[in-house]
Amino acid sequence: MIYVEGLTKRFELSRKQQKEYNTKEKIATAVDHISFECTPGRVFSLLGPNGAGKTTTMRMLSTIFKPSEGSITIAGIDAVKNPQEARKKIGFLTGSTGLYARLTPNELITYFGKLYGVETSVLNERKEALYNLLDMHEFQNKQIGKLSTGMKQKVSISRTMIHDPEVVVFDEPTSGLDVITAENIIKLIKDCKDKGKTVIFSSHIMSEVDLLCDDMAIIHKGKLLFSGTMESFRNSMQAPNLTAEFIRIVHESQNQAL
Amino acid sequence: MIFTIFKKELLDTLRDRRTLLMMLVIPILVFPVIMNVFVGISSSYQEEAATKELKIGVIGGEQNYIWNELKDIPEALGKKQLIEFKDTASLLTALRTDSIDLGMSTGAQFAAELKSMKPATIDVYFNGTDVGRRERAEMYLMTIDEKVKDSRFKELGIERETVQPFNINYENIASSKEMIGKLAGGFLPYIFIAFGFIGCMYPAIDLFTGEKERGTIETLLTTPVARWQILTGKMGVVVLSGLTAATFSLLGLFISLEMFNTIGNQEILDIIHGILSPQFIVMIYALLIPLTIFFAGVMIPIAVHAKTFKEAQSIITPMNIVMVLPAMVGFFPGIELNAITACIPVVNVVLATKELIAGTLDIGLLALSFGVMVGLATLAVIISYKRFDNESNVVI
Repeated sequence: MIYVEGLTKRFELSRKQQKEYNTKEKIATAVDHISFECTPGRVFSLLGPNGAGKTTTMRMLSTIFKPSEGSITIAGIDAVKNPQEARKKIGFLTGSTGLYARLTPNELITYFGKLYGVETSVLNERKEALYNLLDMHEFQNKQIGKLSTGMKQKVSISRTMIHDPEVVVFDEPTSGLDVITAENIIKLIKDCKDKGKTVIFSSHIMSEVDLLCDDMAIIHKGKLLFSGTMESFRNSMQAPNLTAEFIRIVHESQNQAL
Repeated sequence: MIFTIFKKELLDTLRDRRTLLMMLVIPILVFPVIMNVFVGISSSYQEEAATKELKIGVIGGEQNYIWNELKDIPEALGKKQLIEFKDTASLLTALRTDSIDLGMSTGAQFAAELKSMKPATIDVYFNGTDVGRRERAEMYLMTIDEKVKDSRFKELGIERETVQPFNINYENIASSKEMIGKLAGGFLPYIFIAFGFIGCMYPAIDLFTGEKERGTIETLLTTPVARWQILTGKMGVVVLSGLTAATFSLLGLFISLEMFNTIGNQEILDIIHGILSPQFIVMIYALLIPLTIFFAGVMIPIAVHAKTFKEAQSIITPMNIVMVLPAMVGFFPGIELNAITACIPVVNVVLATKELIAGTLDIGLLALSFGVMVGLATLAVIISYKRFDNESNVVI
């Protein structure tokens, strides 16, 4: 379960950043009082164009960033007050995640298992199960730097799931991947849903959202434009298809702002 | 948890060829290579200078007093060949074109001056860029000078002792250990500091900026490990790497002294063995550990702030000069450890090590130096933690 209430993130802008963004404002609001709820056994998607505030939201959910305002509850734990406890419940995967190229998949997954405090016997069982599921036995002892993108993606998935998290946070997990490699992620999300985990993933690809999610929210310039079930989104559509409706909502919000 | 992070970072670091090169290979090889090449070249040069047959041009040839005297000097003092010249101009041309190694002429009044027991002038021409030429001329002329003095004393009926009023004995109360410690002792801490800094540099950049650049830090920060534990584990590897590089450089120096016998003087070698006692090694590490933590603590905030490996390297590399330059203080014999120098970081470690080698260390000043370094190391660690805990510095 993820429960987000009035979540806000403001960043102080350096002079360099003020020049870069062509603004005189000293503070930039990346996420502005957003609220939503993700329930176990359902997939929640945070949809938005580039720079909407998706990654900042995901980073706050995974406790990398501290919110400026608002609350986050992860599996019953206040993630703002007790981030370390909340992290034990979260599996975090982003499309931009790098892996330690000089380690082997086995070393890397064992390392993260230990960081999550997984007992050695349980760790070995889970590794075996993941290697079987993702067909990783052949390359488990090769250096990660020498692996293909698809193999690396499998290592990332194993690393995310090694502590059997209750909540899984995917930040644009398929970005930069070809359709075949992205398929592993799609399978993983479906598998997490089937196991009753709480899943949230961010994306800017409507087709991906349509394929996977039960609930969704649209975010633009840090503000939530829509939040509800996929079904209610479809029922309230004014445009002929999902992508067109997404674009319509974003444009409408831009026009209102002007 | 700190140990898990430390172990992983160490494994990762040991698989990085660049770090291995800077941490182990270069420190252990630099001294055997430099010292062997240096000693080899210098001894062959000295040997050549001592045994080389010198071509000495003398104006006037056999007619010149010096010619005949030089001819009588035994070959044991160096081989020589005398060449006659008519005038100074041709002698100087020959010297400039390296046809001869030395030129000598006597003044017009030479014979008269010599006869009337006055100082007679001898002009010696040499090229200052050719090492050992002037020294050879001085040795020959000193021999002739002593010979003339003897004959003058004899002629005047004076005993040599009567014109030598004093017998001066200079007694050096410093032991050889003290002499080595004060004069050459600055060298040891210098190499320790220089290699300690370089040893810290690559892991500091790799484990902080590198992790940011490669996009791995984000995942690490989502694990239930406190940031101070991550920092401590990583910093441990940076410090260990600096200490390893410093130790390997010392090991390299020891190998070059022991295995290649670059010093070639048993007495000095015995003194060096005496200096390198277990007690000395413990005390030097007591100074070096806070110094290396200080280095790591200075580098880490920069590495955390930098966005790319290149950016971090461009800031930390010039810092090498700022940090290592004070270590050169150890090469100046006059500067000693006192209440003021003990408070200057790096300088205090160098001077304390010098005193340690010489065996003249004041324990109070050692404690002050140690305290200053521990204080600075603590401050550097706090700054590192503040930087590492700042989310804008950690994630791109």
